[in-house]
Formats: sequence, structure tokens, C-alpha cells
Amino acid sequence: MAIVVGSQRTRWLSRALVYGALIVLTVVFLFPLLWVLGLSFKTRMQTFANPPLFLWWPTFENYIDVFGRSDFGLAFLNTLIVSGSAVGLSLCVGVPAAYAFARFPFRGRSFLFFALLVMRMLPPIAVLVPMYVLFSKLGLTTTRFSVVLAYSTFALPLVVWIMRGFFEDLPAELEESAWIDGASRFTAFRLIVLPLAKPGMVAASILCLQLAWNDFLFAAVLTNNASQTLPVKMMTFSAGDSGVDWGGVTASGMLVILPVIIFSFLAQRHLVAGLSSGAVKG
Amino acid sequence: MGDASTSLAQPPLAVIAPARRRRFSFDRYFVALTVLPTFVVMVAIFGLPLLFSFYLSFTGWSPNQALLGGAYVGLDNYADLFADPVFVGSLGITFGYTAAAVSAQLAAGLGIALLLNVDLPYMRAFRTALVIPMMITPIVGALCWKLLLDPSHGVVNYWLGQKIIWLGQPDTAMLAVWVVNVWHSTPYVSLILLAGLRSLPSEPREAAAIDGASRWQMFIHITLPLLKPYLLVALLLRTIFEFRAFDNIYAMTGGGPANATMVLSMFTYLASFVRFDFALGAAASWMMLLMSMLICLFFIAVIRRRDAN
Repeated sequence: MAIVVGSQRTRWLSRALVYGALIVLTVVFLFPLLWVLGLSFKTRMQTFANPPLFLWWPTFENYIDVFGRSDFGLAFLNTLIVSGSAVGLSLCVGVPAAYAFARFPFRGRSFLFFALLVMRMLPPIAVLVPMYVLFSKLGLTTTRFSVVLAYSTFALPLVVWIMRGFFEDLPAELEESAWIDGASRFTAFRLIVLPLAKPGMVAASILCLQLAWNDFLFAAVLTNNASQTLPVKMMTFSAGDSGVDWGGVTASGMLVILPVIIFSFLAQRHLVAGLSSGAVKG
Repeated sequence: MGDASTSLAQPPLAVIAPARRRRFSFDRYFVALTVLPTFVVMVAIFGLPLLFSFYLSFTGWSPNQALLGGAYVGLDNYADLFADPVFVGSLGITFGYTAAAVSAQLAAGLGIALLLNVDLPYMRAFRTALVIPMMITPIVGALCWKLLLDPSHGVVNYWLGQKIIWLGQPDTAMLAVWVVNVWHSTPYVSLILLAGLRSLPSEPREAAAIDGASRWQMFIHITLPLLKPYLLVALLLRTIFEFRAFDNIYAMTGGGPANATMVLSMFTYLASFVRFDFALGAAASWMMLLMSMLICLFFIAVIRRRDAN
């Protein structure tokens, strides 16, 4: 009897410890974000108040100010165009290849696949240095197209990795019966396989979109004022002529991360698969 | 390999002969036609740039010269790199930073994953809340921290009651960059490890519990060994990503103060895009490429050996 009482008490204690630890961790991990979110709703005076204000009447002036700058809207549009095009290009190019990788053994398959893995693993700055030189000689730097190509260096391998895994999990009998019924490889791929692969394509696009949206390095080097993306634009608020523009940094920062947090929750189920890119399998 | 590819590339026997002849050519080249675009894009955006930077690293190329107009200088760029104390220092800083960041992420990530794996009410809310940092755009996260660490108006100094210039002194700048990194990337590790924990079979633990094993014994002798593949994957991925660390360092310190946070990516960036010495930048980036290839091959060898056992 004593043992039961004791174990019940330790169970309560361990539960309390788990919750306590989790609450502390959540506070620690979310505090920086929440504090900056708070700052974005403070006036200049309130931001610099000493001691810091924990309760105040929120103001939207920082957001109105950020939206009022025409180049912020342009940067938003640029980010959408560039990330969207990179994902679109990678899907068009990568999905058929992923299907071939999953279904047909061919010469050089493992080499090509290894090359794709390497492409994902190597440091982006190493690709960016020569890419910048080549693009500047071709007159492509400062265009959105150059950023789309640069983003494909990470988006394409990710699409092929994820989609290969997805196609491997699809039963091959469906296409095989279509082939027997006289459909060509292309027809079977287009009419049977692609519709089934939609969930995988959605997951792959969200993950790529997230990476492209978050990129700073490629866009910082390859764009100018007209083609810059949101993270680059946001950096200019931090390094202006008159020091850090606290209102601009905080409000634009929150606007940059809002969409990406939304996509991430949409793709939460797929996050782990995408992060480990099939490396856990097998 | 030859047998397998012909049997799969040809339509099944049941197909009637005339129809087979009509679309034979397309089907025969199906693999080539599907893989070719990916191959072309890979060569264009990855293969050619890397070959070109290999060429650049052996020339004295400057931006006003034609694409292939740089004079051959042999290993001069590489010799310059290793004669430059900033580059040699950045090797140590990069490896030290990577090791410190990855080990902290793995330790904290494992702890968080174990906590999140307990089945209690409201766990889903904690699982959701604790992945948020990794979803934040890295440059935005780093700038948020820069404001928190602001010497005169930052909330961290307010709480400490001091006026520490966090990003202005070598030791504290490194510490700050490391903290931001651990904050941002620990959720990534805990997400992978949590997925691992949830997929572990429960039988070994149940058997051990019946045999009277303590929780600690179960953790050391059952959970950890079973979790090893996931730990390895997290270790591999985080090592590769920290080795190329750039965004948080660029936003917070720019490699300073006194080069204390000068990681290899930052060094290469400054050489290429601030000093416009692309030849030196190419040499530095080839050193990075070789080192990250070695890291990858090392981990692949470890994983292969594990799979073989």
C-alpha cells in the first residue's frame, strides 16, 4: 500500500517537473520573439523607456510607416516572385527526375543522386562567389532571374529528395496496369502518377518556399534596390544612416516572419521528412 | 544493371506490336528525357560555377578582366590564404563554433525531445510552441537578438543591471552569436529526435521495466542506443549547417570585433564582395568545399558502417 501511495506521489511530482521544465523552456525560447513583437507596437518614446514598459497602449505607427514605404511592398512582391519561381522551376524539372530515380534503374543513377546530395550539403557561399562573377559577365546580376537560379541550388535537390521518397512509397501496380492497357510512360506519369503525387508536391513546395523565403545571403549579393527581397530590405532598417531604426526593424521583421510561420504550420507534418531529407530512412 | 534497365524500359509483352512500334522511341528515352532537365540545371547552376571557381582560384583575376582573362598564378592564392592570420584564425573559429553550437544543440534538443515525448495533456501545445524559433527567418531572429542585447536600450542589460557591450567585445560577441544559434536551431534537433522517439518500439522498454530496470538504466541502455540513427542524422545535418554559418554572424557582428567571430563563410564573403578579390574568395571557397566534403564523407562512412553492422 505504501508503495502505491509513494509511486502516485512520485508520478505527480514527475508530472509537475515535466510541465515546469516545459513552461520555463517555452518562455525562454519564445521570449525574444514576443519581446520584439511587443517592441513593434511601441512608439519611439515607449521603446526607449527605462525601465522597459511591460504594459502600454499599442500603436500601429511602425507598421503604417513600414507599409507606407513603396519599396517595402516591392520587396514583398520580389520575395513572392522569386521564391515562387524557384519552387515552380524546381518542381517542373525535379519531379519527373525524381520519378525516374524512384522507378527505373539507369546508368549513373547513384552518381547523379549523390551529386544532388552534395549540392544540398555544400556551403552556399562557395557557389555564390563564382555564380556572381558569371552572372555579372552575363549581365544577369541584380535581376530576379539570377536569384531564382541561385535558389534552385537548394530547391531542386530538396524537391528530388522528397519526391523520390514519395514515389517509392506509391505502389507501382497502378502505372504498370496502365502500361499494359497501352498507355505510354509519359501518359501514365501524367494521368496516373502525378495526381497521386500531389500531397508530396505540396509538402516539397512548402519546404522549398520556406527556405527561399528565409534566404538572405544569395539575395543580398545578387539583388539591387529594385529586385531586393524582404530579408535584405529588412537589413537596411538596421544599418541606416541614423543607426538602427527600431520601429522599422521590429515591424518589418514581424511582417517577414508572419508568412513563413504560417507555411511552417501548414507543413508541420512534413517538416521532419524534409529536414532529414530521407537520411533517416533505411 | 543492364538487364534490369532493359526489362523496365521496354513495354510489357502484352502490348500489341503495332502500337508498340509507334511510341517505342519515346518510352525508350523516358528516363533520359525525365532526368536530362535536372542534369542540365545541375550542370548550369552548380557544376559550371564550381569548375569556374576552381579555375579562378589559380588566377589573379580581377573584375575588370574578361571571364577567362585572369593570368595563371599557380598556388599563390592558396599561399596567400594560409599566410593570412585572419584566414588561419577563421579555421579555428569555424571548427570551434561548429563544435560548440552542435554539441549544445544536441544536448538541449535531446532534453527537450525527451520532455515532449511524455504523454500528458496539452503536450501538443508545447510541441508547437517549441518549434517556433526554427521557423523564424534567421536574419530576423538575429536582428531581434541584436535589439535585446543593445547596450543602452536592450532588455538583457536592463535585467542584468549592467551596460555590457555584448557585440563589441570578442568573448561576449562569440557567446552572443552562439546563444542565438542554439536558440534558433535546437528546435530542429528536438524535432528530429522527437520523431525518432515516437517511432521507437515499446517492447524493449516494457521488458526492461518488468525486469526492474530504473528509468536512468532504461534511458542509457535502451532509448539512447535505439535513438542513435536519429542522433547521427541530427549531428550530420547540424554540423554541415553550422559549418556554413553566415546569417546570424553577418547580422550581429559582421565577423568582428577584432575578427573574433570571423567564420569561413564570413571571410569568403568579405574577400569576394567587399574587397572584390574574387580569386582569393574562390580559393577560400574551395577550401570550404573540400572541408565540407570531408565532413560529409566521414559521416557517410560512419552511417555505412552502422548499416553494415
